[in-house]
Amino acid sequence: MTIDRKEVEALIRLFERSDWHELRLETDGLKLVLSKDADAAALGSEAEAAAASAEKAPLETTRAQDDVAPVDGLVPITAPNLGTFYRAPKPGVAPYVEVGQQVGEATEVCLIEVMKLFTPVRAGINGRIAKACVEDGEMVEFGAPLFLVEPEAEAAEKA
Amino acid sequence: MALSRVFVANRGEIAVRIVRACRSLGLESVVGVSDADREGLAAELADRAVVLGPAPARESYLNANLVVHAAKATACDALHPGYGFLSESSALAGLCEREEIVFVGPRAETIERLGDKLTARAIAAEADVPIVPGSGEIRAAAEARTFAARVGYPVLMKASAGGGGRGMFVARTDADIDDGFERASAEAEAAFGDGALFVERFVEDARHVEVQIMGDGAGAVVHFGERDCSVQRRFQKVVEEAPAAALSAEARAQIHDAACRLARHLDYQSAGTVEFLYDVARGEAYFIEANVRIQVEHPVTEEVTGIDLIEEQLRIAGGGGLSVAQGDIALAGHAIECRINAEAPERDFAPSPGLIDAWRAPEGQGIRIDSHCRAGAFVSPFYDSMIAKLIVRAGDRTQAVERMSGALDAFRIGGIDTNLAFQARLVRHPDFAANSLNTRWLEDVFMPSLMH
Repeated sequence: MTIDRKEVEALIRLFERSDWHELRLETDGLKLVLSKDADAAALGSEAEAAAASAEKAPLETTRAQDDVAPVDGLVPITAPNLGTFYRAPKPGVAPYVEVGQQVGEATEVCLIEVMKLFTPVRAGINGRIAKACVEDGEMVEFGAPLFLVEPEAEAAEKA
Repeated sequence: MALSRVFVANRGEIAVRIVRACRSLGLESVVGVSDADREGLAAELADRAVVLGPAPARESYLNANLVVHAAKATACDALHPGYGFLSESSALAGLCEREEIVFVGPRAETIERLGDKLTARAIAAEADVPIVPGSGEIRAAAEARTFAARVGYPVLMKASAGGGGRGMFVARTDADIDDGFERASAEAEAAFGDGALFVERFVEDARHVEVQIMGDGAGAVVHFGERDCSVQRRFQKVVEEAPAAALSAEARAQIHDAACRLARHLDYQSAGTVEFLYDVARGEAYFIEANVRIQVEHPVTEEVTGIDLIEEQLRIAGGGGLSVAQGDIALAGHAIECRINAEAPERDFAPSPGLIDAWRAPEGQGIRIDSHCRAGAFVSPFYDSMIAKLIVRAGDRTQAVERMSGALDAFRIGGIDTNLAFQARLVRHPDFAANSLNTRWLEDVFMPSLMH
């Protein structure tokens, strides 16, 4: 999901009219904190401080989602549940899909494994694979983008 | 083995509670959430949150494979199941055992044996724990009628495979059995995958009392006193307290001993609760069932003993054993818990999900709130409607009732319907103040009194 300037302005107007006290929105490449508090500046720094301290924790807090730079017009294929991501049907064989390849809605693009149960993920969209977002064998969470797809219509426009 | 990182396989207030206990023991915590709980307090407080799946519990919190996969992938060495969801699943405990993740709870075998109500009754009998006169497994209404004729009406029909009030009904005549049997059996089949029922003598004037026990899995067992959870609606607890002030000293000592005997008989590991039905007229307590998990109402026990039961569970799971011997456990004062739900009592307790736009919790000495909610939190329609547990402690029961009454008045929750006002009227009812109630009081006496 990408959000443009107009949408941000619309959000701010909505927020002003609402009786909400605070609104936080985080999406790919955007972090928006709106507050009606007098010391709203402190809010941002508090959030950043929290983020900084999370980085110091021994646990890896990065998520697959964070690694994806927003690219206009691309549609993600997302993980249907948490699991381990595999690009190929088994070790040593070619991946289901390569970057640049055309896919249809029913094209299988990868496997998600949960406790040795491997479930294929279908593209669910017609278009061209523009980017693979996850390394083979990595854990992905529900909703994490696995691939970015340039949808059919846009692919056609550019051609 | 000493633990270092714990996976929290639950949501809501108990997930927050477990994360906090981990922190105070210096353990890291990873919480597995559904898509609906990404922004929840547990996800915020844990060292890490991972999104298991979409909002429906079947595709997230109730999927044992998914939960264990997430625990392994995040390098957790233990898993705490909380209550509800998979907490009483021997399959989850077994899966953890196979994957060498410490399950914070009893052994899979214990869960399986106590999970089946009829097996649990047999185990209780073996351990010389008194049980309510009851039947074996019954699959037809005619068998139930035969048994009822032998012990006399009224009788209570229950599902053999599980609890929570499903498949349960009271029969006062043969016709009641004929009317209710098929529906209850179908309900049990749907909920537990097994339509078998059994019959017990129904005690008209009964209190629900239960003993909190804890075992190290190697023979050492202690109890932390008892609770009274007689205020129930449709077999769901509404208010819980510790101690059970209505019990005689003799009856109290008897249930403590019986609960410990049962736990020792099983080499019980971790926290558990042994539930009893106290027959007020006879002055006798009978075993009902054993719950193989930490319970919603555990805070009232913590308040009167000063012991953190979740920390104790984690310590046992890490091989550190019990931190207390029976002689170290002293009970002081009286504690009461009111479950605060997002529901509308005046509309037959219809759930009231939505955005909480105002939240002011009572504060002060002897007041504790276990909750995952706050202003701006969204109460999801996907899960249980409990949004907070309000717990008070005072020197004696009378003072505790007074403190609860004030705390309920001071609690302000806006944006959704809650049962705060209902609970306030309940604790101010003269019967509650006099502790003159039984398991049917709420439905037979209190609720009708609200109509006037």
